[in-house]
Amino acid sequence: MATKSGNLKLDALTKEFGNSAEKVVAVRELTLTINPGEFVTLLGPSGCGKTTALRMIAGFETPTKGRVLLDGEDLSYATPDRRPMGMVFQSYALFPHMTVFDNVAYGLRVKKLSAGEIKKAVGEVLDSMSLSHLANRAPNQLSGGQQQRVALARAMVVRPKVLLFDEPLSNLDAKLRAQMRVEIRSIQRRLGITSIFVTHDQDEAMSLSDRIVVMRNAVVEQVGTPDEIYRRPSSVFVADFIGRSNFLEVESAARAKAGKAKIVVSGRKIEVAAQSSALSSNKPVLLVRPESITVTAAKGKGTKVGKGEGKVTNVVFYGNHVEYTLETDEGVIIAVESDPLYDDIVPVGKIARYSFPADRAWLLPSDSTHAMKEDRK
Amino acid sequence: MSTKARGGKYDIFTKLALVLVLIIVGFLIVLPLLNILVYSSQPSGSAIVKGSFSDIVTRNIIWNTVKLGLTVAALGTLLGFIMAYTQARVEFRGKKILHIINLVPIISPPFAFATAIIVLFGRSGMITRGIFDWRPTLYGYPGLVLVLTLSFFPIAYMNLLGMLRSLDPALDEAGASLGANKWRIFRTVTLPLLIPGFAGSFLLLFIESIADLANPLIIGGSYTVLASRAYMAINGDYDISLAAGYSLLLLLPALLVFLIQRYWAQKKSVISVTGKPSGRPTVVTSKVARTFLLTVTGLLTGLILLIYATVVLGAFVQIIGVNNEFTLSHFQYLLGGFANGAIKTTTTLALIATPLSGIFGMLIAWLVVRKVRRGSEALDFLGMLGIAVPGTVIGIGYAITYNDPVKIAGVTVFPQVAGGAALIGGSIAIIMVYIIRSSPAGQRSGIAMLQQIDPAIEEASASLGAAGGKTFRLVTLPLISGAFLSGLMYAFAHSMTTLSPIIFLVTPDTSILTQKILAEADQGRYGNVFALCCILIMLIMIIGGLINLLVRRTQVSIDRPMVTGR
Amino acid sequence: MKRSKLIAFGALSALVLSLLSAVAPAQAARDLKGSVCAQEGQVRTISGVTYTCERVSGALQYAQGRKLSGTLNVLCTPQELWCVEMTKAFQAKTGVTTKFIRLSSGEALTRLVASKNNPEFDVWTGGPNDSHISGRIQGVIEAYKSPTRNMLKSQFKDADGFWTGIYMGALGFCSNTNELKRLGVKAPTSWNDLLNAKFKGNFMMAHPGTSGTAYTALWSQVLRLGSEDAAINYMKELNKNVLSYTRSGAGPTGPLGRGEVATGLVFSHDCTAAILRGNPLVVSFPKEGTGFEIGGIALVKGAKNPDAAKAYIDFALSAEAQNIGPAKAESFQILTNPNAKYDRRMINLKKVTLLNYEAEAAGTASVKLKARFDKEVALASSAK
Repeated sequence: MATKSGNLKLDALTKEFGNSAEKVVAVRELTLTINPGEFVTLLGPSGCGKTTALRMIAGFETPTKGRVLLDGEDLSYATPDRRPMGMVFQSYALFPHMTVFDNVAYGLRVKKLSAGEIKKAVGEVLDSMSLSHLANRAPNQLSGGQQQRVALARAMVVRPKVLLFDEPLSNLDAKLRAQMRVEIRSIQRRLGITSIFVTHDQDEAMSLSDRIVVMRNAVVEQVGTPDEIYRRPSSVFVADFIGRSNFLEVESAARAKAGKAKIVVSGRKIEVAAQSSALSSNKPVLLVRPESITVTAAKGKGTKVGKGEGKVTNVVFYGNHVEYTLETDEGVIIAVESDPLYDDIVPVGKIARYSFPADRAWLLPSDSTHAMKEDRK
Repeated sequence: MSTKARGGKYDIFTKLALVLVLIIVGFLIVLPLLNILVYSSQPSGSAIVKGSFSDIVTRNIIWNTVKLGLTVAALGTLLGFIMAYTQARVEFRGKKILHIINLVPIISPPFAFATAIIVLFGRSGMITRGIFDWRPTLYGYPGLVLVLTLSFFPIAYMNLLGMLRSLDPALDEAGASLGANKWRIFRTVTLPLLIPGFAGSFLLLFIESIADLANPLIIGGSYTVLASRAYMAINGDYDISLAAGYSLLLLLPALLVFLIQRYWAQKKSVISVTGKPSGRPTVVTSKVARTFLLTVTGLLTGLILLIYATVVLGAFVQIIGVNNEFTLSHFQYLLGGFANGAIKTTTTLALIATPLSGIFGMLIAWLVVRKVRRGSEALDFLGMLGIAVPGTVIGIGYAITYNDPVKIAGVTVFPQVAGGAALIGGSIAIIMVYIIRSSPAGQRSGIAMLQQIDPAIEEASASLGAAGGKTFRLVTLPLISGAFLSGLMYAFAHSMTTLSPIIFLVTPDTSILTQKILAEADQGRYGNVFALCCILIMLIMIIGGLINLLVRRTQVSIDRPMVTGR
Repeated sequence: MKRSKLIAFGALSALVLSLLSAVAPAQAARDLKGSVCAQEGQVRTISGVTYTCERVSGALQYAQGRKLSGTLNVLCTPQELWCVEMTKAFQAKTGVTTKFIRLSSGEALTRLVASKNNPEFDVWTGGPNDSHISGRIQGVIEAYKSPTRNMLKSQFKDADGFWTGIYMGALGFCSNTNELKRLGVKAPTSWNDLLNAKFKGNFMMAHPGTSGTAYTALWSQVLRLGSEDAAINYMKELNKNVLSYTRSGAGPTGPLGRGEVATGLVFSHDCTAAILRGNPLVVSFPKEGTGFEIGGIALVKGAKNPDAAKAYIDFALSAEAQNIGPAKAESFQILTNPNAKYDRRMINLKKVTLLNYEAEAAGTASVKLKARFDKEVALASSAK
């Protein structure tokens, strides 16, 4: 089933809006190669340019500069109808004046397939997505999840070389969203269609993607597998955008062997992995994910906070995990302990010790520390 | 996200459509207007334009025109508001019927009102003299104000009713929860929010009333306005330049006011930002207010009904009010040869123009909302010129332009289409006028409709392989078919009842019903006028109904267009 | 397949033949040229050729035949019904598709001037002949001397043949009897009676700009009072009583019938027609003498179908055509063909004083005088 085609190449793709007096760059020099059958997510806050990038790939926007190549063919200026791509829209964009069947059949009819072929192909797709019983319904008689599946079926039935998803799950409730993720991923795997998925939801990106492209202010911050993005983010921004982060202030940092740095943090001397430019930054910070931090009660202590300690200012018990907020000399630290014993939880107001394994930490340049706060969506 | 692609190139279909629209607009309205400018710069025309403030006679004509426009605009807006407010906020029986009655004057044939008003309220009026022994003089300013207000108030009514309905009732509730009483809420919340609606209605009514030619001709008396003076310049002074001069004087304020209305008053509108209205609108319960509103509404509706009753009755009696003996002679006379040709021609031409103007309006709407990036406002304005420009001006512009072939450097670029010697006896010019006069309505409703449809729906079609034209045909057009239908109905009714531009273009081959009505009204044969009005109304109802059926059949039913969006 | 085509062809040709024979029965091939006829002016069509019976050296004969084709476009100025009946009759007689548009004389002249380069009409019928004279001056009509002209008195035709009279009408006062009673006045019998203050807002006439009737009235004042200035002054006085100027000459009859105004100035035959429709009106004439019109007919210069136009003019001058007015079209003008029937509803010229109305002078002065009226009387009043 899987096809070898679907190799998508973006070459310095750039989009500028407005006139020469007031120019806004929406996407700057996006270069990326997506392999056949790969599932790539464009992730970033609103206005980062991810949707514009997707619309350039689909042909709804014309690039100011750069090229879109599909299997070597330059499609940069082709109109959308000339591109072998399917798109699933945030609003689903089902044709309200057509039934489910007609919606799905639309692309095939445009291609002038015979009625028999259309019936067969649509029937198969509807079957595979358990939509057969809804074939004669109008879109506005469907639930959100059903509409979503119809939109997906409609995009897939024409066998596009590339499937494009523009935040397709954002209008669904949390439970359905999780379910649809699984469904989309399994169908995509089965058919082996190259897919590009735009979202601002990191969970979606993590759970769906082969690779994630994190964008910010029109440029790519990092491209990598979900694990790389999470464990080895290229910047404070990426780290903060993907998952929750603690950025500990580092007392000193020095180069160690390749890719490592010797640092002093919370009074400990440790050797940690470091981002390549971390040490050239004037004040690097140490990324430690909350789940990497262990919190224990500091025995026999009063209110004095020592090295590697913090005052508990908030505790939330979730049953399967507990979340602490500590005030420390290194800043506010959030820690998550999984499977906690209720009696061992350090109460608010007490001093607690915190620690983390060195191999779970990652040293980052601080140049733009907390700049991302402005980028909140 | 933007609703349309920005930067870059248009697809072939869009380019073709754009060029086509520009050519059509160019010939249908821009060229005749340019010719008005050219002719008005000749001696007799420019003397009028230059003398518009120094020459007392011209100044008075201008003042007459403006005074009429202001009065009708003020009264019409006020009446429209009272009717709309009653419709939206007072509970009573028969609301729906009342609503329909209030809208009927929009598609009424010309002169139906003027003649009926004279029969009812003139010096020997059945009511004024018959009941009150009162002999008011209607010829001139008072009659014009009365007739024009009755004819045009529905525009304000529709405008304001739409606004009142989209006002979030929560605003009233908020006012009430802050301790304001209903009257205070009305004064401090409702009225201020409606100001853009008042302004818009006022300006539209102003344009309509200064542009009207039919009524000043019949009941204007010695009250001369620019439209009737321009008409006299052509038909009395045989001076086209003079007519062009008066046309220009009429065109400029109309265009100016139109621009203000369209691009300022509408931008000021803040109503819709509150989103979907929630809750139920507060209902007027105060006895005094209720009584007042229902009385005014009742009187006005009664008046409209009375006028139509007069029209129908007048068609079936010898001379209504003078000799009330039942007769079919008017119809026998009209259908025995007098009006048969006109009925056929008018209906045919209107039927040809209707789909063309519908498609044309929709095409412009689609280009404006979806396709054109830079200059979409300009395109929108060009499309709206057909109603912004007074009919008299269009008619004179056409007569100047199309009585000869249009030539550029000696090469004919457009054949002669007006006048009896033109192709198909001059019917093309009339169809052109019908199109340009009625497409703006379709354009407006098309734009409103398109703005509600998620652009992603069209993008979805494109990404499934349907090129621009196919997408327009398969997806856009069916989705805006509701607006398209109402556009068609309006276009047909409007074409059937239009007069002022047509007066200058009728030929032996194209005798037009409204022109026949004018002739009969002018000859004082009211029985024939009423019978012609009845025939016209019947035609509009029957054929309008057929259009409705025809288009409905081919249209996939949608409960409600999907208006999902980001 | 073949057979059915043959049958269809046969049926079709049979149909066509039968239609043809219905239109042109037995005499199909006869040429009437030179044959004797009985009634001067009579127009007759045989096998597509139209003849006019004329007097050639004392004897009546069908001297000339015209093979007519195409469409005839008539510019018609009298009331619509008359236009309908006349064109219908001509079409029935000759088989030429005859279309008309009714425009009052001012409007008609404008249209003729506007389409001078590419005339849209072939013949202009009706309306006071001073507008035809104005048309001659503006070069929109051309001479045609119909043989039937010989029957007409010289006052009814232009020596050069630019126009020929088909009817004559005199201006009269048309008054509503109920209103007169209410106002306590008698029907006016003098031009000065119209200036009676009791008629303030109670008088109506057409606008000379658009209406030949009204221009005739205006020129009558010039004749009666001796100068244009005096005429304008009179109109200014009269203007004080005017409720409204209508577009066409017969326009005041409607409001008069309804009693909107008490009296008005129209061609008396228009008032007569309104009386016959049941309006409580009465006709009277000014004792000082009244203006009259000779309703002219003229060939349009550069007419697309001149043969049909000429035949139409011949027809309009015949007694047969002129009788249509009173018989079928509520038109009671005095007819110019001496053989046309007199109808009792027409005015008796012996009882009415006519001014020495000279259309030539009236037509020559018209453009300027109308402009003066407009500026000094009508518009000045709207500036009140």
